[in-house]
Amino acid sequence: MNRLLPLAAIEVFVWLFLLGSTFAISKGAFAISFGTATLAESVATQTARVAASGGVVLIWLLGWKKVTDSYLARTLSRKRINV
Amino acid sequence: MPDVLQATAVGFISIVTFIATFAATPIVAKAMKARGITGIDVHKLTKNQVPEMCGLAIIIGLVVGVLACVVAFPSAIRMMTAFIGTVLIAGAIGVIDDIRPLGARSKPVLTALASIPIIALGVYVPFPEIPLVGMVRLTIVYPLLIPIAIAVTSNSINMMDVLNGAMPGTVAIIAITATGIILFKGNAQVGSLAAILFAAMLAFYCFNRFPSKVFSGDTGSLSVGAALGAFAILGRLEAVILVALIPHIMNSFYGLASVRGLRERREILQRPTRLLDNGLLEASNEKGAPVTLTRLILASGPLGEKQIVRSMTILTAVSSMLAIVTYWITVVVK
Repeated sequence: MNRLLPLAAIEVFVWLFLLGSTFAISKGAFAISFGTATLAESVATQTARVAASGGVVLIWLLGWKKVTDSYLARTLSRKRINV
Repeated sequence: MPDVLQATAVGFISIVTFIATFAATPIVAKAMKARGITGIDVHKLTKNQVPEMCGLAIIIGLVVGVLACVVAFPSAIRMMTAFIGTVLIAGAIGVIDDIRPLGARSKPVLTALASIPIIALGVYVPFPEIPLVGMVRLTIVYPLLIPIAIAVTSNSINMMDVLNGAMPGTVAIIAITATGIILFKGNAQVGSLAAILFAAMLAFYCFNRFPSKVFSGDTGSLSVGAALGAFAILGRLEAVILVALIPHIMNSFYGLASVRGLRERREILQRPTRLLDNGLLEASNEKGAPVTLTRLILASGPLGEKQIVRSMTILTAVSSMLAIVTYWITVVVK
């Protein structure tokens, strides 16, 4: 059970980061507007919003990967020392 | 909340699905064994042969369940057709992959095609509800995101199906969580779809749990993943299912990131784990070995296959609780 605590903590970290990211997307990315009067404006607005949201998601994924990589490296090296 | 009659119908449909899947699994397994469609249980010292492609029994169970849903909720026939269409296309891709393995890049592209029934029948609402944000308008982008969502869910479930009972055990938890939330929302039609997935998973788990008597193959895992993605879209639970799927997404994301992109299992020479002489599994210490959820669980010491699957189930239970909290936050903000 103890070995699952760090992984459950990573889950909670990922979840909190996800909530924070959606909030950031709503306040930042969804504030982008090139108008919605014509189809071209609407497409441009939504494309820009998705691109900006993608950027936030990328930061989320990189943060997630960094946390996991450091956990795995630390745990495996500690196990080697114990052996 | 649904009325008593609707709740009874959902319960009855679930029982029918359970019986259909439970009855079909040994028949499919026998047929696969007779045709020599078997796979080696690589995480056992005995290396016994287990019938493959038994996920066909899950598909049979889901078809029976959807037919029962159509009888109970005839007004939702378009939605039911979209759901089962998605499952059948993903299942067909799984059959092809089980018979002649597809490339690492072609599999996600092909599974994205399973979204065609949802898009063609227009049974989606392009206003997803996002926690802390509320409803967002994505009329143009949303249909483009549907194929990605189906590809992600089906391939994430597929990548988790590596240990006895891991796929049906974890998906059953997500499906029962989704059933509860969707029924609480008062949508008995979509709730019944989540309930039939739960029932099919429960029945299949009886055969797939440690030590496995059947393997679902890509036929089962891709169709189950597509079913999850489909009812996330139909039930407007995109964010909730995303959170519930954190362990699965963790597993596939780490895998993809550590081997730097899409690669077929056979192309990766280093294994994430190795089988010890005492039957336990140990995490690989090699630097280039793929990072998977199994390797992360094993990082602090060797474990048996059964314990690893139990760990995965606990992590899915944690993510499902977070999914419930996510739904609650979404409702509060609304």
